[in-house]
Amino acid sequence: MEVHGYQIVEGLLYTKEHEWAKPEGQLVKIGVTDYAAKTLNDVVFVTLPKVDAKVEQSKSMGTVESIKAVSEVYSPVSGTVTKVNGALDTHPELVNSSPYGDGWLVEVTPSNLTAERKDLLDAKGYAEYLGSLMSK
Amino acid sequence: MLRKTQLYDYHRAHAKLTEFAGYDMPLWYTTTSEEHMAVRNASGIFDVSHMARFEVTGGQSTEFLEGLVPTAVQSQQQGKAFYTLLLNDHGGIIDDLIIVRLQSDRYMVVVNAANAQADKKHMLDHAPSGLQLVDRTEETAMIAVQGPAAQSSLQPLTDLDLSQLKRFRSAETKVLGEDAIVSRTGYTGEDGFEVILYNATMENPGGALKTWGKLALSSTPCGLGARDSLRLEAGLPLHGSDIDQNTDPYQADLSWVITAEKGGYIGEGALSTYKEHGPTFIRRGLVMDSGIPRHGFEVVDESGPIGEVTSGTFSPLLRKGVALCKVKRERSAYGTEVGVLVRDSRQRAAITKPPFYAESLYGWKRQKGN
Repeated sequence: MEVHGYQIVEGLLYTKEHEWAKPEGQLVKIGVTDYAAKTLNDVVFVTLPKVDAKVEQSKSMGTVESIKAVSEVYSPVSGTVTKVNGALDTHPELVNSSPYGDGWLVEVTPSNLTAERKDLLDAKGYAEYLGSLMSK
Repeated sequence: MLRKTQLYDYHRAHAKLTEFAGYDMPLWYTTTSEEHMAVRNASGIFDVSHMARFEVTGGQSTEFLEGLVPTAVQSQQQGKAFYTLLLNDHGGIIDDLIIVRLQSDRYMVVVNAANAQADKKHMLDHAPSGLQLVDRTEETAMIAVQGPAAQSSLQPLTDLDLSQLKRFRSAETKVLGEDAIVSRTGYTGEDGFEVILYNATMENPGGALKTWGKLALSSTPCGLGARDSLRLEAGLPLHGSDIDQNTDPYQADLSWVITAEKGGYIGEGALSTYKEHGPTFIRRGLVMDSGIPRHGFEVVDESGPIGEVTSGTFSPLLRKGVALCKVKRERSAYGTEVGVLVRDSRQRAAITKPPFYAESLYGWKRQKGN
């Protein structure tokens, strides 16, 4: 679905800081939303945690930078990093061209997903939240 | 309520807007990278109408300006546009500016939007009676056309033979039939022009919008994002970030604007002391191995902190972080290996003389293909 030109994917979980989380079996893939990417304009540099690093829900786990600005990435869930998207080292623009696909950031083994889920929005909830930001 | 330029309606329809110096300005139209590269490879246009323009006339105008800036004014020929500094009594930089000598006793003074009121007050405080200082900001627009193809983009709009206008030269002419001042100047490192268009008010921006529209057929509209990344890649300082009231021309590495044999201007006394002792900190460029330097990041070496980043960005040409910084003079030699603290990690960088691009390939000095 689309809200004010920003793409939102059904089935993902979202934060109000514009990250998404996608539970896949025992793992959770994490990225930033189309709104986050478009607001930054052109992403030119991404800093991510290393494999085996612990991340905590709502705590900074890295940065996504455009020419002009730095945006912190807050982890939508707590857990241990199992995979990092190495393609972003040489092609950070994937965050713009495919924020929900090839532009994913990290994959984690969640430590407390059942409890933390309630702090996340579903696609409909995030769409409403974006809509409320736009009407401000 | 933010101020608007004469081209606001275009920006609102096509750009992401941002507040800058009290104005509602375009940040980007497409992406900063795209706009940046358009200027390096072809031509881009910028609305710089937010910069303030003061016309100085009257029999004493040369003496008046001579007393305000460290650059000799009297020896500037008619039609010359020159970069200089307004200094306070302590030799600190109130603003950097371009002065265009239109006639022997008529000048156009172009200053930064953020400092416009301070500059105006400073000038009026020192104006002799009989001098006329007219703020033309609201009745003129200003468009910068920048890049290797700037001349071919602008030429169809004017009868002035642009090929005969040398760098840092100005001419009064007409652009699309309206009175204009065309200067071969800019803030990108590239060849290009800055065009001041008369008879362009908010109520009736006709000529300005028409000129912008025509230029946009052959040049890429660029926002403040690209303006900043371009000037940083070229190593040009931004007042308020890289230089300010507490920076003297020696610290700013801008002492070349000082005419050695000149005296009798505000700040002169302080400058002779600074010259004798040399600055403790000096403005330098740096290029990162990895990471993007931002304003306020600490510059370190094995001994500890040696300075800080005053403005930084990602260079679309180098695909690396670049910055202007102020560092201790004894650690400021070009090639010096330093570290920059990017949040919690120390990244390697080298003190580098701007521009950060190869001047054989980019910038106004590049060889013209013939």
